[in-house]
Amino acid sequence: MPLHTLVQERRFSTPVIFKDPRLFQLTALGSFLIFGILQLGWQHDIKRFLTLISFTLLAQCLAIVALKLPIDSWKSGLISGLGLCLLFHSSSFWVLALAPIIAIGSKYLIRWKGTHIFNPANFGIVIPLLLTNEAWVNTGQWGSGVMLAFFFASAALMVLMKVGRIDTSVTFLLTLFALESLRSVFYLEWDFDVVFHKMMNGSVLLFAFFMITDPRTTPNRMKGRIIWAALIGVLSFALTSVFYLHTAPIWALFIATPFTLFMNHLFGGKTFNWKPISHITKQFKQ
Amino acid sequence: MKNLKTLIVFALMMVQIEGVMAFCGFYVAKADAKLFNNRSEVILVRNGNRTVVTMSNDFKGNVRDFAMVVPVPVVLSEHDIRVVNRSIFDKLNDYSAPRLVEYYDEHPCAPIMREESVLEFSKTMQANYTSMDLAFNLNEDYGVAIEAEYQIGEYDILILSATESDGLRRWLTDNDYTIPQDADEVLNPYIKSNMKFFVVKVNLEKVASQETEYLSPIQITYSSDKFMLPIRLGMANADGPQDLVVYALTDQGRVECANYRTVQLPTDRNIPTYVKSKFGEFYKSVFERSWKYEGQNAVFLEYAWDVSPQNRVKCDPCVGPPPIQGDLAEAGVNWLNSTGKAYFTRLHVRYERDKFPQDLQFQVTPNKERYQARYVVTHPASGDFTCDEGQAYLKDLEMRRSKEVDELRVLTGWVTKHQSGYINEFSNRRLDRQDLEEERNEFIPTGSSGGKGPGGNQFPWTLPIVFVSLAFFIGLTSRLVKKLEAVRSVS
Repeated sequence: MPLHTLVQERRFSTPVIFKDPRLFQLTALGSFLIFGILQLGWQHDIKRFLTLISFTLLAQCLAIVALKLPIDSWKSGLISGLGLCLLFHSSSFWVLALAPIIAIGSKYLIRWKGTHIFNPANFGIVIPLLLTNEAWVNTGQWGSGVMLAFFFASAALMVLMKVGRIDTSVTFLLTLFALESLRSVFYLEWDFDVVFHKMMNGSVLLFAFFMITDPRTTPNRMKGRIIWAALIGVLSFALTSVFYLHTAPIWALFIATPFTLFMNHLFGGKTFNWKPISHITKQFKQ
Repeated sequence: MKNLKTLIVFALMMVQIEGVMAFCGFYVAKADAKLFNNRSEVILVRNGNRTVVTMSNDFKGNVRDFAMVVPVPVVLSEHDIRVVNRSIFDKLNDYSAPRLVEYYDEHPCAPIMREESVLEFSKTMQANYTSMDLAFNLNEDYGVAIEAEYQIGEYDILILSATESDGLRRWLTDNDYTIPQDADEVLNPYIKSNMKFFVVKVNLEKVASQETEYLSPIQITYSSDKFMLPIRLGMANADGPQDLVVYALTDQGRVECANYRTVQLPTDRNIPTYVKSKFGEFYKSVFERSWKYEGQNAVFLEYAWDVSPQNRVKCDPCVGPPPIQGDLAEAGVNWLNSTGKAYFTRLHVRYERDKFPQDLQFQVTPNKERYQARYVVTHPASGDFTCDEGQAYLKDLEMRRSKEVDELRVLTGWVTKHQSGYINEFSNRRLDRQDLEEERNEFIPTGSSGGKGPGGNQFPWTLPIVFVSLAFFIGLTSRLVKKLEAVRSVS
């Protein structure tokens, strides 16, 4: 029986997580977290994860009620919450409670021309890092490995095919890789595996595939996105090699936020909107 | 004719030579077993961008054969270099070493309180070095400049800068050092990173005997944004993995590695009492197994605690006296009078070239959570167990011992022929002996070692399995939320 007949007769339906890229992203981030707990010794941090996720959902619920948002927005909220779990550390309960509130709050309070400008998870990490003495990001927590890179990349690919932000990841990684290779291999004369080890770092990959690809806070046009992602790559490299800042990409994204507006001003384009059901499924339904 | 001079540029610290090998590892109680060979120790103190590095120096042999080369980020001035007392390393090590705690069961029929005791876990370690007198001649052809020259303690110290590795290598070779071939390749990145080379030899006039067994650790202080240990140099001549123990002191909290995983070793595990006599071997196995399980590329946390003078509980239980203010000052802590806070972290790294391509980068975190690698043995009560509580106790004891044996197998992979005897040591005192055979089969651990925790190999396919299960879960949740939304829109 041909595939389209199966689909029409609804004997075979697309799994729901493939219909909505946000659900797919939730699944990917959620499995990274569970993988960390099972395999990377993060079981000591379960309280931290629970606090971050609870306060994210709480903040998102408040926003849904106060601003009469669609219930559907819990997905974006939880994505930010999981992003925080995977990067943000603090031993203070209050900081762990505050970070998700700042992240979700930034979405609804810091807006420009009808859309939020900061990447919520990034904002939720950077503000506590700047304002408190209780927060940190552990860039070594994933280790460095090909398998990890493979899973991150393939999971990300599925999301990015739908939202069309793969250009951002690729540009950022290529820029960073080119600059790191030039410095470490060609200038400093380290062996190539030094660069490889840096690029395969789980935190860098997570950042590249899941943080700077948020379609709402990246420039709308591809040209703009490529310039913007390259800028983040250059900034990250500079912050790492000049100031020895291990969390360089996170700061680079924060600094580059105003440039998103500039790129949109320069190249125009429509703001991305999440749609719960993709066009493909709609076509099948019709 | 000059003596053979061989120089091995050691990671942070030392020039090491074959033949004088004397790494003794560390001892447990009276066990004289060699444990961690090729082990070195460093004290790292970090406050803002001020770093104090103290390098252990357990060289034994003719001091003419000692030399050491350390890449440092800046040219050090004379007051930035000093020698400290060796006892600071022993003190920090004794205080923070993985520990075995002993508990005693109360007698079930007539409970009496007993106190816990702790098995002292002491160790010694030695580094092995060698080299020769440094001929302090400068030749511009080498592209090597002597930035500074000092006499500190029993040492003559030079700070070299170089423009290219070949020149530096030739300079060292021409001054009768034999540089391992691989070291040449690693020298270049350090030169290009504008690192200086801190070169040390013993001033023969300053030591009473050339056959000394004691050379002071050297401490250097500098300000730099780099908070790292250049381990790559030491790998140049390494034959197999090397162990490095870092004692870190900061004003903020724990120190963790920024470019490798920092992993906690399994702790608070109950193990059989017969492990007590070979606790050193036990811990060595635990470490080795965890190291393999974590992919041989992780940094292990062995201890973390607030050692501020006003913090009264500096260990629980203590295996060695906690460092006092004088010890912290000796290690390079100079901020106690202003903030009064000091946090101690002990990290253990087993590294080799394949798994550790980058130097170790560290970061200070505000994490003040305590951690200790702690293992527990519980001694059974003795006496008459004929009362009901006594009989229940014996049954529980067998269960407990069975679990201890399992735990030991998971932690170390050890399976001993004595273990069923250990589990059933008190069985003949049970009054319900007729039922025993049946039960005993449940208690005796069977099967090979494995299972979760350090023991089995890391399973890379966990991620996709978790992914698929979570996808189903999220799919279901999403449908539920949609229904909720539909209900809301209808109402």
